[in-house]
Amino acid sequence: MRVRFKLNGEPVEVDVEPNELLINVLRERFGLTGTKYACGIGECGACTVLLDGEPVLSCLTLAADVDGHEVVTVEGLAKSGELTPVQRAFIEEGAVQCGYCIPGFVIMAESLLRENPEPTEAEIRDYIRGNLCRCTGYVNIVKAVKRASKYFKLAPPGS
Amino acid sequence: MASRVRPSPINTMNTHIIPVRFEYFAPKTLNEAVDLLSRFRGRAKVLAGGTDLVVQMKVGRVRPEYVVSIRWLRELDFIDTREDGLHIGALTKLRRIEKSDVIRRGFIALYEAAKAMGGVQVRCMGTVGGNLCNASPAADTAPPLMVYEARVKAVSTRGEREIPITKFFKGPGKSALEPDEILTEVMIPYQPANTGSAFLKVARTSMDLAKVNVAAAINVREGVVRWARIALGAVAPTPIRALKAEAYLAGKELGEDVIARAAEIAASETRPITDVRSTAWYRREVSKVLVKDALRIAYGRAVRG
Amino acid sequence: MGVTSRFRFIGKRVPRRDGVLKVTGAAKFAYDIEIPGMLYGRIFKSPYAHAIVDRIDKSEAERLGAVVITYEDVPKVLFNTRLVSVDEATYKDWEVLTKHPKYVGEPIAAVAARSEEVAQRALEALRVEFKEVFKPVLDPFEAMDPAAPKIHRKIVLANRWVDVVNNVGATLEYSEGDVDKAFRDADVVIERRFKTNRRYHLQLEPKVAVCKPEVGGSITVWTTTQSLHNTRILISQVFGIPMSKVNVVKTFLGGAFGSSIHTNLVTLIAVALCLKARRPVKIALTREDDILHDHVSYQMHFRIKAGARRDGRLVAGEFENVMDIGAHQIQAYPLLGTALGWFVSLYKWGSIRYVGKAVYTNKVPTCAFRGYGNPQVTWAVETVIDEVAEELNMDPLDFRLKNYRGLGDIFWGQGPTVKTVIKSDGVPELMRKGAELIGWYRRPKPWEQRGRFRRGIGLARGFHTSGAGGPISGEVIDYTGAILKVNEDGSIDYVTALQDHGGGTLDAHVKIIAEELGVPPEKINVVWSDTFTTVYDVCTHASRGVYVGGEGARRAAAKVKERILEYASRLLPKVVNPEALKMEYDEELDDVVIYVEGMPGEKVTLSEVARTAWQRNWGSISASVSYRATAAPPSFTVYFVEVEVDTETGIVRPVKVVAGADLGTVINPDLAAGQIHGGFAQGWSMAVLEDVVYDPESGEPLNKGLITDYKVPMAPDLPALDNFTVIFASTYEPTGPFGAKGIGEAAANPVAAAVANAIANALGIRFYELPITPEKVLEAIKERRG
Repeated sequence: MRVRFKLNGEPVEVDVEPNELLINVLRERFGLTGTKYACGIGECGACTVLLDGEPVLSCLTLAADVDGHEVVTVEGLAKSGELTPVQRAFIEEGAVQCGYCIPGFVIMAESLLRENPEPTEAEIRDYIRGNLCRCTGYVNIVKAVKRASKYFKLAPPGS
Repeated sequence: MASRVRPSPINTMNTHIIPVRFEYFAPKTLNEAVDLLSRFRGRAKVLAGGTDLVVQMKVGRVRPEYVVSIRWLRELDFIDTREDGLHIGALTKLRRIEKSDVIRRGFIALYEAAKAMGGVQVRCMGTVGGNLCNASPAADTAPPLMVYEARVKAVSTRGEREIPITKFFKGPGKSALEPDEILTEVMIPYQPANTGSAFLKVARTSMDLAKVNVAAAINVREGVVRWARIALGAVAPTPIRALKAEAYLAGKELGEDVIARAAEIAASETRPITDVRSTAWYRREVSKVLVKDALRIAYGRAVRG
Repeated sequence: MGVTSRFRFIGKRVPRRDGVLKVTGAAKFAYDIEIPGMLYGRIFKSPYAHAIVDRIDKSEAERLGAVVITYEDVPKVLFNTRLVSVDEATYKDWEVLTKHPKYVGEPIAAVAARSEEVAQRALEALRVEFKEVFKPVLDPFEAMDPAAPKIHRKIVLANRWVDVVNNVGATLEYSEGDVDKAFRDADVVIERRFKTNRRYHLQLEPKVAVCKPEVGGSITVWTTTQSLHNTRILISQVFGIPMSKVNVVKTFLGGAFGSSIHTNLVTLIAVALCLKARRPVKIALTREDDILHDHVSYQMHFRIKAGARRDGRLVAGEFENVMDIGAHQIQAYPLLGTALGWFVSLYKWGSIRYVGKAVYTNKVPTCAFRGYGNPQVTWAVETVIDEVAEELNMDPLDFRLKNYRGLGDIFWGQGPTVKTVIKSDGVPELMRKGAELIGWYRRPKPWEQRGRFRRGIGLARGFHTSGAGGPISGEVIDYTGAILKVNEDGSIDYVTALQDHGGGTLDAHVKIIAEELGVPPEKINVVWSDTFTTVYDVCTHASRGVYVGGEGARRAAAKVKERILEYASRLLPKVVNPEALKMEYDEELDDVVIYVEGMPGEKVTLSEVARTAWQRNWGSISASVSYRATAAPPSFTVYFVEVEVDTETGIVRPVKVVAGADLGTVINPDLAAGQIHGGFAQGWSMAVLEDVVYDPESGEPLNKGLITDYKVPMAPDLPALDNFTVIFASTYEPTGPFGAKGIGEAAANPVAAAVANAIANALGIRFYELPITPEKVLEAIKERRG
């Protein structure tokens, strides 16, 4: 079946089978391998993308269901090669180790700061509790979100 | 030496993909959706948020021939305050429930339950109807709805009917819905003044299914409990009401002794099992603790208003 | 960190080199490798814990267009997936695919097809009939019963067959001194039994392998591995392909924690499928495949007996170690020696006696998991040490300082074959500072606490070796290789096979090279390498990446420097001895200046030297180094952990952590701290949460491979930022690159012990079985109340 949607700002069309998952369509048809498989059952958040601006798990989303909607992956955040404040903060705080979970965290941090530009530490931790990281103990990730929140305050997105 | 163990189903699981083929329908209206269900008579599955059904298909537990995706049926996505109570569309996302001021102010146990579920992503996908239809004994939205004495509405081509939430759960994974029915809304009566409620959950981590979850609602006048309702999850094949404990509480002043006794009675009404998440013994013990804590919090809220 | 300030690059916070790739999703992990025309593979896993296959009908699967291989299509050769030990210490008991599966999940056959879905259908179309299904043996003590079913009858050691008696795969005994007399003379003797959990690594990237046939009969492999070269050697050995026709290419690795020191079976299966299909094949394990595939931590059963004199001196230690290794040996035999090494090197026991047994069971094979048995041993020892101190009425901190192996003491490194002398030791400093920061001397006494919520502070210390090198060869292979080239414009290429799992190891190497040459890190390119173009490095494990690999890189830089100075002296005719020249980065010139101190005119830049060497045909400025460390010094860590126990639910919450680490010179401060943060999270999880539990009848893990029921901590489950303090000791390791030692494993080793000791401090109850779940805590509290 034919599915049309907006992917990282561009309209796209693709033929999918009814049982195809969004994660596989993103990775295999569009080469957007930043969206990661890690558990397949919604326990780890590595496959998180924004669907109509809300974070969802692409491993549990039928590609057919995004027809007419808008999907943003980690590749769609940094426009024209410039890192977003969140991405910058992740690097600066040493929040990245093996990096496999990081796209999911970056998406979540973007989503959180758009909803709540000045989150408390507890709010940050709660917001990312669906994202599993086995390397960092989340310490530098939480620091990175706090740092990004300062950047957001200085220059809100879209300003 | 030979053993008669059943083979593990590992070779039929594949969480990379949905290994089963099905036909896909995305009806634009509820009428269309129930028509489809009526046509496919039990060979179809309704897809709402997908957080449960897709997993079930990946691990080979469910193999539908048809999937009816109602994900974008806007008509079932609402939170309405009406004269007879609060009406929540079945496709209302848990995330929206958690963010609703009406729910947070008037039905705080439901807010607390929604917030305790999964991660933000799961709550941005999962719906209140999906959580109920999944009929997990551990469903977090069940205990609050049970203490609020909610009813759900089911629609099919045969018409619509209301089911009290207490009659909705039939066993693990089994609800009162017929295969051609769609759960369309949840109706919660307004709680009378001087009512307080609370939801509590014990799990292995902050991102987990409940070992035990408990909701309590309590109505107090002049220091006396007029009525109390207690519901528990993950301690029986379905979420349950602790009716004996509720009866015991009615008409009593809520001292620590009474709370402790009520908790004992509530725990005696549970039928927990031992599984990979916890033990039957622990579930029963912690049921007591959660019932006590939930009663104290609910009482405090009832008294402070 | 006063010592590091004399460095120009080392110790400075520099954004990691791969950071941009990772935050934008551009980093390619093995999971992300796609090759046009490739087939997708799936593995048929044994649905029984112990069975014999009768026959496999693959016709239906082949009708679907799948390429199918079974145990009949793979080389009939037993191997060990890990090649870190020498042949004489390597037990071989594994096949690529087997007719005789010994755990639920063991590969029997595999298929490859044009899509994952078709491959899955083909997998389900395989008709595998079993001749016999045995009752699984899941407990190591039951396994040793002569009446128990035999999991292996014969295995191979150094190319000869050895019989397996009573499922014991390997044993090791050792003693020093008159232990019985020492115990008789002891004033206090404590004896305890311990059982650890069976932890799944849950590295974020499940195991994956891509194999591509090349023109001319060679193959290219991308896979999740901690060792490019050992993967290549094993493929060559198993399939009889010359090494010159096997190229293993580096990819980003989505975590490993020891689970890919050995070549994961999936790699060999992908190669077998590729050879049969003559097309590229990719097998990416699902999470549920991965949890049943070939890696969980060693589950260990200990008996520890410790004897001390009233003056606070340990005089005797006895250690019995029964390891439940699962169905195959990965590094079980070497661990018998290393576990002893951990035990002996923690404290000066006086006389010691040890017996270690590695016992087969019908469970997923065990392997290293961040610490290689060290967290397990440290948990047990640090529990006993606390108890001995209590018995002696000594402060546990003082008792440790009095008895631990530190500066000047002999250290066992990785077991009895490698002994070195400790030359750097930050333990006293870390103990002192840590005690102050956590409020050690104000810690509660369990019997004084009332109320539902109880606090407790626990202390544990430990260490890990930096690498597995040493003055003599021993049983472990440990050397590294580095190639360094100064390009014709003065920029630098660094070529290494050493894997960076995310700890920032290669960033550290770059800083080390930068420091040696005075070249800023930005001018050093880490070449994306493979086995064809690098020299041998054994593996990124044993916390050796910085200590061994970094020193290899430094030596390559030193050699290159010699050549640079020699060439520079040709351009500075007044200079008679190149050794008189210095190299320093000049920010204004954005170049390295080579000059004579005190003679401002006598200078030339690195780019001039490089260009001239090219233009005048002097030859390349390059070096290739193979380096073996002469020691494996301990990196010490000291953890103070405060917990709160809810005595009504048994739930334990982490309140505060002070983590002290002695890793010598700190090269990447934020990344080193990151190791400690992650080490704490994993250790915490080991203490209270993780375990793979098996169904006693079927031998299948109860979680069915789904991590819905294999929980690890999420962000809200760990301490707040303000309550997590990391301190570094100001030490300098003379044998390490610019004074550095390792950190990866030391960061985790004592955590579970500190948590357990904190729980004991809160409740006055000790637990001897991990994990310490709320269920166990509550039961113990109720039991005590009677």
